[in-house]
Amino acid sequence: MKKAVHYINQFFAGIGGEEMADYKPEIREGLVGPSLALNSMIDAEVTHTIICGDNFMGTHTDEAVEEILKFLEGIDFDIFIAGPAFNAGRYGVACGTICKAVKEKFNVEAITSMNEENPGVDMFKKDIYIFKGGKSAAKLRDDVKKMADFANKILNGKKTGSADEEGFFERGIRSQVWLDDKKTAARRGVEMLIKKLNNEEFVTELPIPKQDRVDIAHPIKDLSKANIALVTTGGIVPVENPDRIQSASATRWGKYDISNLERLESGVYKTIHAGFDPAAADADPNVILPLDVMKEYLREGKIGKLHKYFYSTVGTGTTQKEASRMGKEIVEELKKDKVDGVILVST
Amino acid sequence: MKLEIGNFYVKDVLFGEETSYKDGILTINKEDALAFIKEDEHITDVDIEIAKPGENTRIVPVKEAVEPRVRPDGRSTFPGVTGELEACGNGRVHALKGVSVLGVGMHYGSFGDGLIDMGGEGAKYTLFSQLINICIVADTDEEFERFEQQKKNRAIRWATHRFAEYLGNIVKEMDPETIDVFELDPILKREENVSKLPSVVLVMQPQSQMEELGYNDLVYGWDMNKYLPTFMHPNEVLDGALISGSFMPASSKWSTYDFQNFPTIKELYKEHGKSINFLGVIMSNLNVSLEQKKRSSIFVAQMAKSLGADGAIVTEEGYGNPDADYIMCIRALEDVGVKTVGISNECTGRDGASQPLVTLDEKADALVSTGNVSELIELPKADRVIGELEALARDGLSGGWSYDEILGPSVREDGSIIMENNAMFCGDGISGGSIKTMKEF
Repeated sequence: MKKAVHYINQFFAGIGGEEMADYKPEIREGLVGPSLALNSMIDAEVTHTIICGDNFMGTHTDEAVEEILKFLEGIDFDIFIAGPAFNAGRYGVACGTICKAVKEKFNVEAITSMNEENPGVDMFKKDIYIFKGGKSAAKLRDDVKKMADFANKILNGKKTGSADEEGFFERGIRSQVWLDDKKTAARRGVEMLIKKLNNEEFVTELPIPKQDRVDIAHPIKDLSKANIALVTTGGIVPVENPDRIQSASATRWGKYDISNLERLESGVYKTIHAGFDPAAADADPNVILPLDVMKEYLREGKIGKLHKYFYSTVGTGTTQKEASRMGKEIVEELKKDKVDGVILVST
Repeated sequence: MKLEIGNFYVKDVLFGEETSYKDGILTINKEDALAFIKEDEHITDVDIEIAKPGENTRIVPVKEAVEPRVRPDGRSTFPGVTGELEACGNGRVHALKGVSVLGVGMHYGSFGDGLIDMGGEGAKYTLFSQLINICIVADTDEEFERFEQQKKNRAIRWATHRFAEYLGNIVKEMDPETIDVFELDPILKREENVSKLPSVVLVMQPQSQMEELGYNDLVYGWDMNKYLPTFMHPNEVLDGALISGSFMPASSKWSTYDFQNFPTIKELYKEHGKSINFLGVIMSNLNVSLEQKKRSSIFVAQMAKSLGADGAIVTEEGYGNPDADYIMCIRALEDVGVKTVGISNECTGRDGASQPLVTLDEKADALVSTGNVSELIELPKADRVIGELEALARDGLSGGWSYDEILGPSVREDGSIIMENNAMFCGDGISGGSIKTMKEF
C-alpha cells in the first residue's frame, strides 16, 4: 500500500490555540486529528502526522522547514498532504511553505486546501495543488475529501483533469485539451459573440489578469519646500531584521527612524532581499536606500525636509495583492505625516 | 453577391487509365498529371502519392493544401495566381470535397512547413488527417533557397494551386451532388428583419510580416505586405481570392484550403438573418513595426464603426509577434464601442507556464483558444513516409530540431519523432475548425 504523510498545525492536533502557536515541529507515528478523516478516504496509509505551531512556522520558517525535512528523510512516502487550512492565514501560509519545500526536496506531489481569501493561495498556488476549501473547520470533511479524491488519482496513476474539473486553484499552467462535444472554435466564437452582443454572460477561454494601474502623480510644484520620504522594496533593514520581514513573498513591512543618521552604515543595515546578490547592498546600504544623497540634497536646500522614517519590504515573489495591501498601509502613514513626495526604490 | 459551391463528394482516389470522376471515385492518370505539373520548368522532379485517413502514413514537409476546384464559366480558380485576374465570390464554382492537394517537399523543408499523420495517435493533431490527401512530392530548381530556413516555396505552392484546378476541371461540366449557396444582400439594401439584428464584421489578419516579397499571403495575387485593410465580401475569401503564404509556423497557418472553407465565415453565415446581420469581412493584415500595427488597427476600427458594426470577431494567422496586432485590433474595436471576440491559439511554453499571448489587454475579455503552439508531441514510427522525414529535424521547421541535449533530435533513428505542436500542419485550426481549447492545470 502507498504511504502518505500529513501536516497539521497545533490547533488541529489538539495541543492548543493561540497560546501554543509557537509550538515547535514534531512528528508522530500514526493519526492525529484530521489525519483520521484523511486516512479513511485516501488510497494510502497515513503513516505519520507532522505538527507545527503556526507562529513558529511563520517566524522561524527556515528552522521549521529544515527540521521537518529532516524528519522526512528517513521516511518512505508517496504523497504529502497539508491542512485543510480554511481561511486561517498563518496556517495557510504554513501549509504552502511546507508543501513547496517537501515537493522540491522529495519530488512527490504535495496537496493542500485553503479558502480563496487565505493569503497562502496567492503565495503558493503556482507551486503546489491548493484545493478550493471552506471558510472554517465546519467544512473539514468536505475539504479533506477533495484532496483525497485527487490524491487517489495520482496514487493510482490515473489522469488528472483541469483546475476547473478537479477544483484546485489555477496554477498558471495552460495546456491544450480536446473538447468532448467537438464544438469548433468557429462555433464557440460566434456563440460567445452573440452572448456578448445580447449582454448575456459569457465565459472567455483565456481570462486576462486584471491590471491594477495607478495614475502617475502630478509633479511637486516646489521641491525645496517638500517633505520627501524614502520607501524601498529592496529589503534594507537594521541587521537584526526586527520586523521579521520575509526574504521573499513578503507579507510584512517595517519603518525605521533615520532622522539622526547621515548615511546607512554597513554592518548596521543590510538587505534581506533574496532576489539578487546582496554583496554590494550589504557593503553600502545607501546604494539601495540613498540616505547619503538625500541628506546632501537637504543641506543644499533641494528638498525641504526628509521624512523621519524610511519604509521597507521585499519585492521578490511578493504577490500583487500583498504588495497592494502593504502599499496602502504605508501610504496611510505617509499621508498622516504630511509627506509630499516619495522616492520608491526598487531593485 | 451570390456564390454557389457545387459539391462532389469524393469517397476514394485512385490512379488509373482515364482521369475521371464517377460515383465518388476520383481516378487520376498519373502520367498525364505529372506531365501537367512539369509544365512548370522549375519543377525538376515530381511524384504524386495518395494518403488516406486511417493509414499509418506520415507526410512531411507539407507546404500548402488546396481544395480542388474549378469555375464552369472559365474564370480562373485563383484569380491572379492560376490565371487572369478576375473578380470572384459570385457565380458557380465546383469543388471536390473530402480531398486536398498537398504540396510536399521531396527532400527539403522550411520554417513554415508542417507534418500530417494520417492514422494512429498523431491523427488527432490536424484535421487534414480526415481528408484524402493527393500529395505532390516535388523538388525544384530554386537553388537560391535550397538550404535557407525561410523558403518562398513558389514552384511547389503554385503546383498545388494549378493541380487543384486541373483536378477540378474533371467535374467542370458535371452536375454537383449538392450546392451550398452563400449570399448577402448589399449592406444598405437588406430586409428590415435582417438589418434590425446586431451587425457583425469578421476581421481577418492573414500573415504578411515578411518585408521581402514572395513569402506572404496573396489577395488577388497581390502580396499583403504592401497592403492596407480593405472591406471584402466573405464570398471572395471562400472563392479563391486569397492564397496562403510560406512563412507562418505550420500549426498557426491558414492554408489555401482553410481560406476556401473558412469555418468562422460559414458559422457567421449560419447565424445571418437569425441572430446577427453579417456585414462582411474587414481584411486586415499582420505587420512588423508598431506603427504599422497601429495604422492597420486604426483602419479596421474606423471601417467597422462606419459600417455600423455592433460586434466583431478578430482572428489572426499566427502567434508570437502577431499577437500584438491581434490584441491591438481587439482593443481598437472595443474603444470605438464594437463588442469583440478573438479567435487564436496560445503559446504557453513547454511547461505551460508562460504568458499565453505576447501582449494582453483587459479589453480582450472574450477570447477563444484553439490550441497550444508549444505542446510537446511524441509519436511512434510510421510505416510509410511521404516526403522526407529528416526534414522535420534538419531543415528548421518551426516545431522540429536537430539537436537537444535532453530530448535528442526530433527524428530518431528508429523513425519515431518528438516535436512541438508548432509543426503540426494547420494543427491549431485557427480558421475555426479546431475542437481544441486551452485549460488551466
